[in-house]
Amino acid sequence: MKINDLLPEFITRHVLIAIIIGGFGGIGFILFLIEFDHYTSTEEFCTTCHSMTLVAEPYRESSHYKPRSGVRASCGDCHVSEGVFSATWDHFMGMNDLLAQLFGPDYDDPVINALHLPDAAFKARKWFKDRDSDTCNRCHVKEAIYGERPDTLAIHLEDARDKSCIECHYNLVHRIVPHEKTFKRAQWNAMIEEEFSLPKGTAKELLKNK
Amino acid sequence: MSCNPSFIRLFQFVISILLVTSNVQAAKVALDPSAWGLEEGKSCIDCHSKSSSGLTHQWKNSAHAQANVNCLDCHQAYEDDEDAMEHEGHIIATIVSPKDCGRCHETEYNEQKGSTHVKAISILNNKMPKLSQHFGADAAHVSGCAKCHGSEVKVRGDGTLDPETWPNTGIGRLNPDGSYGSCSACHGRHQFSKAQARDPGACTHCHTGIESPDKAIYETSKHGMLYSAHRDEMNLNSDQWLVGKDYSAAPTCVTCHMGAAGKMKSTHDVGMRDVWNLNSPVSTQQYLVIFEDGDKRELAKTEDIPRRGETTEKLDGSKVKVKAVASPKMRRQAMLKTCLECHSKGFAKNAMQQFDNFVELYNDKYGKPAQAIMQSLYDNNLLTPLAFDEPVEHTYWKLWHNEGTRARHGAAMGSANMTWWEGMHELGNNFYGQFLPQVREIAGKKADAIIEQHLKVTDYHTWLDNKQESSPVLGFGKGKDHED
Repeated sequence: MKINDLLPEFITRHVLIAIIIGGFGGIGFILFLIEFDHYTSTEEFCTTCHSMTLVAEPYRESSHYKPRSGVRASCGDCHVSEGVFSATWDHFMGMNDLLAQLFGPDYDDPVINALHLPDAAFKARKWFKDRDSDTCNRCHVKEAIYGERPDTLAIHLEDARDKSCIECHYNLVHRIVPHEKTFKRAQWNAMIEEEFSLPKGTAKELLKNK
Repeated sequence: MSCNPSFIRLFQFVISILLVTSNVQAAKVALDPSAWGLEEGKSCIDCHSKSSSGLTHQWKNSAHAQANVNCLDCHQAYEDDEDAMEHEGHIIATIVSPKDCGRCHETEYNEQKGSTHVKAISILNNKMPKLSQHFGADAAHVSGCAKCHGSEVKVRGDGTLDPETWPNTGIGRLNPDGSYGSCSACHGRHQFSKAQARDPGACTHCHTGIESPDKAIYETSKHGMLYSAHRDEMNLNSDQWLVGKDYSAAPTCVTCHMGAAGKMKSTHDVGMRDVWNLNSPVSTQQYLVIFEDGDKRELAKTEDIPRRGETTEKLDGSKVKVKAVASPKMRRQAMLKTCLECHSKGFAKNAMQQFDNFVELYNDKYGKPAQAIMQSLYDNNLLTPLAFDEPVEHTYWKLWHNEGTRARHGAAMGSANMTWWEGMHELGNNFYGQFLPQVREIAGKKADAIIEQHLKVTDYHTWLDNKQESSPVLGFGKGKDHED
């Protein structure tokens, strides 16, 4: 008996070969995406851009990098969604950042980087809010935040019951940036100028040029 | 007894400007209750009773809680405010400035606005330039000087409060909203208890030690002695706190310097009833100039005193019209009003006379001669202009600042020990035993020319001429003949 006899008539030999090749190809592609997403979510990959090493500095001092538990969250653990399709989509959208890195302001310059940081922070906060802090919940379970003080769990279960993590914890890992509502560009610029010993007004010029 | 009519007018004027009418209670909040108890603020308590339970516990025991004043009523801010921050969906500020408190406590805010307390930063900057830097450095200024005098609070570009300037509840603090002062300097957060603010501890948190030795002085005065014995009879929690009616066991700092007495209203303009400046090399009686805008400044009796309606300079350099001028005499009248609730007029006036005499004695015997001698040393280029780089400058500083201040404050508030042993006795030890010998060493051959003329202004130093006068009772010179 031939195999053809077991299959419907329209599955010809060519179709069968195509299905097999396509199937393996598809599986291979998915596997590639998984590996790709995995690799491109690592701190090692992210910090191949110099600009990212700057924002990684405070991260490396944070409890997400130096946890007592030994569970370290890498860049992608927080900033890339769960699931191969979502993760791939996030990386696809991340191309914008790559384009900005290549053709936009010189983010590798620590001053430029610091001046633009608030905008990046606002964008990232919105990203977390839109996803209901999904990536936080990969590790954190609201019902299990016992903390060190007796009422930490109660606060999370009662007062923060309907809140998304990012609504409160928006200055957790990276350099402190005020909430968008109370952010004052002039004061931020002045702080950066003072920090880098730049003459007054430099920040405004730098932002205008880029 | 007949009174000079102009004196009567003067007196009525004082009363109208400084003391005002019949209300003896602290001014009640004039704002409509609908203006506080913000609905959104009620949720703060749920979380904060868990996250910072001590704080909410204090608040729950406060008059604020009873009147439905919640967290947000005091801490609310606008997005544009320099120190505004987002917190759990609300725009708030950590610092509640006197201006914020003044939204409800308008009278108290206006009274403190021109008081000597809010001048604490400029007093620090004017009187002791660089002292904190030369004897300490920034960290000492932050944890020492500024804790009482107040910091100039800086909000950083990232919205956080600069740790060089905050936490701070100094009485003259410059707040991000431009107002000066800190209500919680005296009114501890978050209970804001009347009893706590009326207790001398509210004042002696700062008014203690060599710069302002009032804690030790009060505690060793008759007033302080009575207070410690009868604290439970002080009715410290009473809504109204009128001396002679609501309490009489003892006067506290508040009683004399800001309390209600008789028809005199209580005031948050601390220092208004003070006649002398007691923290300077030489004390002078002080006029109080009250400006149209509510600000005030003190002017020494020896300076040109502006008249009502004239324009004169404020401490910040701006020129403003003078609304009223209170003479030292008027200020003394205000202070005496309190005394009279417990003492006879004769008693009180004599006590003040004793105080004034002591201050003048200090001035004439030590303050003025020492100041003049130091000036001669500078004029003769025997000292560098830089303060504290030569031993005699330290000696002089101890003389007028440490010992002189203690002696004068001691006399002001009736501590015999602080006036004499810790005060004038120390002054004598220093002046004759250290200061003059050091000056002689520096001045060399010019010593007599520099020193003698200043010692001869009064008879206070003629005892030095009686070289043969032996004092065996003090342990000196018994049975010995003295040579020059």
